[in-house]
Amino acid sequence: MGEQLDKVKVALTELDLDAIAPAVKEALDDGEDPTLILASMADGMAAVGELFEKGEYFLADLVLAGEGMKEGLEVLEPHLEAGTTGQKGTVVLCTVKGDIHDIGKNLVATMLSSAGYNVVDLGTDVPEDKVVDAVRANQAGAVGLSVLLTPMVGSIGDVVSALEEAGLRDQVKIAIGGACTTQELADRMGVDALGRDAVEAIRIFDGFFS
Amino acid sequence: MRSTGERAGSERISRPMASEDYHVISCSTVAEELGRLGVPGDRMTVLDFGLHMDPDKLRAAVQAEIDAVPGDCDILLGYGLCSNGVVGLRSDTHRLVIPLSDDCIALFLGSREEHLARLRATPGTYYLTKGWVEAQSGPIQEYERIRERYGEKRADRVVKALFGNYTHVVLINTGNYNMDFYREFAKAMAAFLGLQFQEIPGSNRLLTRLLSGDWDSEFAVVEPGTPMPFDVFQS
Repeated sequence: MGEQLDKVKVALTELDLDAIAPAVKEALDDGEDPTLILASMADGMAAVGELFEKGEYFLADLVLAGEGMKEGLEVLEPHLEAGTTGQKGTVVLCTVKGDIHDIGKNLVATMLSSAGYNVVDLGTDVPEDKVVDAVRANQAGAVGLSVLLTPMVGSIGDVVSALEEAGLRDQVKIAIGGACTTQELADRMGVDALGRDAVEAIRIFDGFFS
Repeated sequence: MRSTGERAGSERISRPMASEDYHVISCSTVAEELGRLGVPGDRMTVLDFGLHMDPDKLRAAVQAEIDAVPGDCDILLGYGLCSNGVVGLRSDTHRLVIPLSDDCIALFLGSREEHLARLRATPGTYYLTKGWVEAQSGPIQEYERIRERYGEKRADRVVKALFGNYTHVVLINTGNYNMDFYREFAKAMAAFLGLQFQEIPGSNRLLTRLLSGDWDSEFAVVEPGTPMPFDVFQS
């Protein structure tokens, strides 16, 4: 990895927010490939995720990393080829009905946007008919559902049923994520994938759209 | 298998079980209430509240304590589902008994129904209890920490990201403690975040029943050799 790319990753990993945008700019000035810079930012986010898992970073630190990612992307995005912005496909994202937790969902939105997806973020506490409307209106190819509260996992099933009833289930892949989700739950709800973090989300949606 | 405690159906026992018939393993926030309800210190193992942040660590810690309980008494768990942290717990020699709640909030409110009704009515509620206040730093402290290192603008954005969707701070008062300090904390938190403060009475109903052996459909009773299932928590 080039020195400048490494700086981008380290700045994000260490949550050195003031250093992120300048590091991205320096890397660009040095002629680094913007997609590699983006990959370095994703590596930084993955490292932050690992530190969170280990208990060394807190929830606020995850949010800070998301802020750092956004600040870096502001510098980087104009340099990414037009073909990489919003062209991979459209993903409808939301936190399900009855739940207002959105830190993870917002990180996923940031990461997917940076990875070239058109993200339609419906926010939190979103009823299933809104998801159906958004899928239809945006001709989305995938849906991402976030849930933190165990009592609200049933809302995932509501979305799946509503998409089936609307005749849209065959045209969308559905991924779920959030603290209370398990593979067992994903299987039971009839969704296509379970993601543990925002970096994994990119892999999942890349798989959906490949 | 919601409950294999069929005996509770035929004869309700309202008085507490004899303490030699059980051992409690509990999160520190819940343990304090259980202590108030008469669980002797030597019949209760208390584990760190911070474990709830990592369900795998929580499971490993509780399992280690289950394995360390001698004899064949029932093991009562002072936990809820806690992000699936209790799923898979097992003992080869003891029955495991747990209230069917999603997290400890239902244990403080007295029933899962009460918790669910409140969640549905006001999803943006940040619950506080004595134990929760004691166990974590509040948003004001968190804001100061972030502001010092990253400046005011970013601190504002982080606090908004962490708490922006909440509308209420609700303090649960189980009636067992002097709540002055915790009330002030909760009020200050609500004022800082621009949320509505509310204090509501809690209830030890569910925990009292856990200790009474009156285990109907509100509890899972897991027989020796059987891992704690996930689906039993699904209402």
